[in-house]
Amino acid sequence: MFTTIVRVLKAAFQNIIRNAWLGAATVLVLILALASVNVLVGVNALLTRAVTILEDKVDVTVFFKPTANEALVKQARFFLGDLSQINTVELLPPDKALELFKERHKNDKEILDALAELDANPLGATIRVTAKNTSDYPFIIETLKNPQFADAIESKSYDDHKASIERVQSLADSARLVGSVLILVFVLIGILIVYNTVRVAIYTQREEIGIMRLVGASSTFVRTPFVFQGFALAAIALLVTAGIVAVGVAWIEPGLRPLYDGGDPGLREAFYGNGGQLAILEGGGLMLLVGLTSWAAVGKYLKN
Amino acid sequence: MIKLTRVSKTYPPDVHGLKDITLEILPGEFVSIVGQSGAGKTTLAKLLIAQERPTRGTIEIGGWDITNIRSREVPVLRRQIGVVFQDFKLLPKKTVFENVSFALEVAGEPTKRINDIVPQVLRIVGLEEKGFRYPRQLSGGEQQRVVIARSLVHRPKILLADEPTGNLDTLNARDIIDLLQKINAFGTTVVLVTHNREVVNALRKRVITLADGRVASDQAHGKYLIS
Repeated sequence: MFTTIVRVLKAAFQNIIRNAWLGAATVLVLILALASVNVLVGVNALLTRAVTILEDKVDVTVFFKPTANEALVKQARFFLGDLSQINTVELLPPDKALELFKERHKNDKEILDALAELDANPLGATIRVTAKNTSDYPFIIETLKNPQFADAIESKSYDDHKASIERVQSLADSARLVGSVLILVFVLIGILIVYNTVRVAIYTQREEIGIMRLVGASSTFVRTPFVFQGFALAAIALLVTAGIVAVGVAWIEPGLRPLYDGGDPGLREAFYGNGGQLAILEGGGLMLLVGLTSWAAVGKYLKN
Repeated sequence: MIKLTRVSKTYPPDVHGLKDITLEILPGEFVSIVGQSGAGKTTLAKLLIAQERPTRGTIEIGGWDITNIRSREVPVLRRQIGVVFQDFKLLPKKTVFENVSFALEVAGEPTKRINDIVPQVLRIVGLEEKGFRYPRQLSGGEQQRVVIARSLVHRPKILLADEPTGNLDTLNARDIIDLLQKINAFGTTVVLVTHNREVVNALRKRVITLADGRVASDQAHGKYLIS
């Protein structure tokens, strides 16, 4: 058994060395297939990050009446904070709200003069809310119609931003769907490319397979070196692709940062953060595909 | 040793390769199977190594009925019959030594035994100095001798040579036939499929002549009769 395994591995190794050009061509096509899938993974990560940034910019601000009880405002904050749909809740007391208002309008003399004429702070407390999903905003707004809080609320910014929020939500949904579909399509194309590449590589060696059979080799003895050879070529392709992706991300990412307000475009997280998972998925899938295709393709020439 | 009983082979739709052939080849015989192209010589050779299955009749090799041999038993049969082909059928990416040793490796022979036997067999065919060459680096006659060496490593009881001199010049052809005669002298049954008149007439051994898929004649010390 041990001798057979050694012979099979030796035959696979010799096949790789002595069919170096064929192996190189096969590896190149495998790299192209893997790279095309990874390009789509990258594009999807960039798209997702862009949508996330856009979603993060969406919020709802609830303006309380100046007469609203401070305890009621705090109660509203805790009530909102307990909702599972809420990402962040920020409470601005009336003094802070006034301060920010003045800062925002520091170049508008008329507004500042009007404010100075007033004896008391005309602004009430403000609560700024961000949701985990843009689709949750209607629900959050609905909960604030609770009679306990409704009478104390002056206005909500949601009504002004409703159309924008819905557009962002629609864009995010479309982007995620298109990204997933494109990755699936590229994976399927990749599978077809790999399948046919392995078949062509084995087709070129069909006469040798027939000769091995004629001199008394069992099907398994003929097949196994080709399967191991396929595994080795797939591993080489995976390593080279991983190197290309790692270098590519490091090179492209700084150039993309300005497009994301100087923030992370999401490529590092997609490839470096999920590197192990991607390697297992892509490498495992490729090995399985190459192994099964090699086994089946050799079988076609074992009939005599 | 080899027994065919009423064997026919028909290829779809209705091409008859062999028609109702009955013959027996005894251990140690040197038999030439001759006939024109399409007479059924190659079909007969393919049936003997289970590369084809007969449509009717039975085939026995050394008492083993291989008429309906299972696919997984075919390698076992082929390790017992040495086969020499007109087009050599050497593995181009393996050296001479590896081509010969491959036939032993597939049978699971220990490496030490392989390293003992292969040089001996290469010496018998006169290629002990060319073990590390690739087939493309050899002449046609040398390649055919590698094939013979490969067919001998199992010490087969039967050696089937299908047109072994077809691609060789007269001198090399004579060398190969001499080699086959030596192998036969050691007790191996040799079945030579050929259409080389000079070779058959020089041998003066048993000649089975096929014509149109049937046995036209079977002579103990025959000559090539086809005109």
